[in-house]
Amino acid sequence: MALSAVGKQSSLHRQRRKTGFLFSLPALGLVGAFLGIPIYQALYFSMTKWDGIIAEWLGPSTYINQFKSPIFWRVIENNALLLLAVPVAIILPMGIAYVLNDKIAGWKIFRTIYFLPTAISWVVIGMVAMRFFAQEGLLNDLLKGIGLGFIKTDLLSSERGALLAVGITFIWSMVGTNSIIFLTGMATLDISLYEAARMDGASSFRIFRSITLPQLKRFIQFSFIITVISAFTALFTLIFVMTGGGPGFGTTTLEFFVYQSAFSRGNFGTGAMLGVILFFIMAILGSAQLLLVRNKE
Amino acid sequence: MKRFSLGRGFTFVLMLTLAFIMLYPFIFMINTSFKSKAQFFGAPGHSLLSWQKVFTALPVGRQLINSTIVCAGAILIILAVSSLAGFALAKLTFRLSPIFFLGIVGAMLIPLQSIIIPAYINASHLHLLTGYWGAILLYSALGTPFATFLMTSYFRGLPDDLIEAAVVDGLSYTAVFRKIALPLAIPALVTIVVLQFIQIWDDLLVGLLFLQNQDYRTITVGLGALAAGRTTDIPVLMAGSIISAIPAIIVYLIFQKQLVNGLTAGIGK
Repeated sequence: MALSAVGKQSSLHRQRRKTGFLFSLPALGLVGAFLGIPIYQALYFSMTKWDGIIAEWLGPSTYINQFKSPIFWRVIENNALLLLAVPVAIILPMGIAYVLNDKIAGWKIFRTIYFLPTAISWVVIGMVAMRFFAQEGLLNDLLKGIGLGFIKTDLLSSERGALLAVGITFIWSMVGTNSIIFLTGMATLDISLYEAARMDGASSFRIFRSITLPQLKRFIQFSFIITVISAFTALFTLIFVMTGGGPGFGTTTLEFFVYQSAFSRGNFGTGAMLGVILFFIMAILGSAQLLLVRNKE
Repeated sequence: MKRFSLGRGFTFVLMLTLAFIMLYPFIFMINTSFKSKAQFFGAPGHSLLSWQKVFTALPVGRQLINSTIVCAGAILIILAVSSLAGFALAKLTFRLSPIFFLGIVGAMLIPLQSIIIPAYINASHLHLLTGYWGAILLYSALGTPFATFLMTSYFRGLPDDLIEAAVVDGLSYTAVFRKIALPLAIPALVTIVVLQFIQIWDDLLVGLLFLQNQDYRTITVGLGALAAGRTTDIPVLMAGSIISAIPAIIVYLIFQKQLVNGLTAGIGK
């Protein structure tokens, strides 16, 4: 009797493990086939000259040659410059969330409006941004309106200007996401701390710095990660629509360079290699972030 | 007190200005779409000309159907595999489950651009580029890691006793999943649907490469190709943009809460 109960127990356990294994196989198979295998292939093909059909093995020298190319460093420089947009894309939404959290009149409507771009394709955002920055666009109308008509910029026609335009559009589109992250964070704040601080006569700024900011640490980290990842991997569409990577290599970022090398120039090996480099940059940034969090705790 | 309300008034004006900046693209799109090409370049008045032209410049109906097919296909696959895996990894643990979890969820760290070239060549060898399947499968694979993460953390919140009691009563684990766990997980499933719908509907890169047959292009890809091409008829492009954006905006307005939940799920408790 007892024995059969134990037997039933262990057969149930076996059944549970078996079901668990079978249930998780489809997800693992899908991810393995479409993301796992290709990342290994990318590693292999990155050391070949590959036109998509025939691959000729060249070895690690492909990387060394790439690192000697000034165009490659120009592309990395563009990525680095775009990172300058990250602090703005975090601090501005933090201020917005702070005001919204204060339940300013109409804050729910404001929230919906600020978050709206999250639903819009980068294709659409890019098209409008292009018109905004164009010579006969709104930016110049605005400048004229405030008496600065003599400036008349055409941001998209110069290399640095075009990168600036992409950066500004990037900040614009991150405002909603980051505001929501901080708003969620501020909703979790401990109110009793505020009351105590106010009773002690602390100034608003002091309260923000000493109470709000430390409690928001986790949310700041999260929005930082999301924004950096977006800066490296989410701008393809924006660049594709707004500038096509130009003028020259002015707005070619690493992710765009992957596409350009493979699909415009037919160098699939080089494209694969640039993808691998992007993967390693993201992995290094990810582990650095992880280490930082660990050390602080 | 007066200084205080003055400060609030100033903040309010600031927020209004910001709201205008955030809404500007929409205002621009709507306004421009109701102009002819000549009116866009300065002639006065509005017209419906661009709205008539957009239907010949873009196969709008066909592309909206394509977008719907690709989104629906990919989302169904994501829901199926991620709810199964999430339940298994949370409640039916086995010796390899930590490795499985790491393998599936860890794939979130792989940027799309790092795998897209080999994935594209593989799909072309398997003849997946001419129909919908290449795009559907890649979108599914890209959405699965995060969806599995979400489902696993959701199912972890279910009490073990609930499942064990049902099993002792004679239900198989498959029946427990279908009859008990899945109905309880509907909020998490809705979050995944909303998040993935917006992501896939708005995507350009995968569709551009994996939907080689022009008749299978999604509306976003059609628009992107038109915008990057030689077309300079901005009002027509704007009319197309509005059409492409409306479904995602409607989903956003209805499911804003779920979208926020999905976006902030990665922060943890």
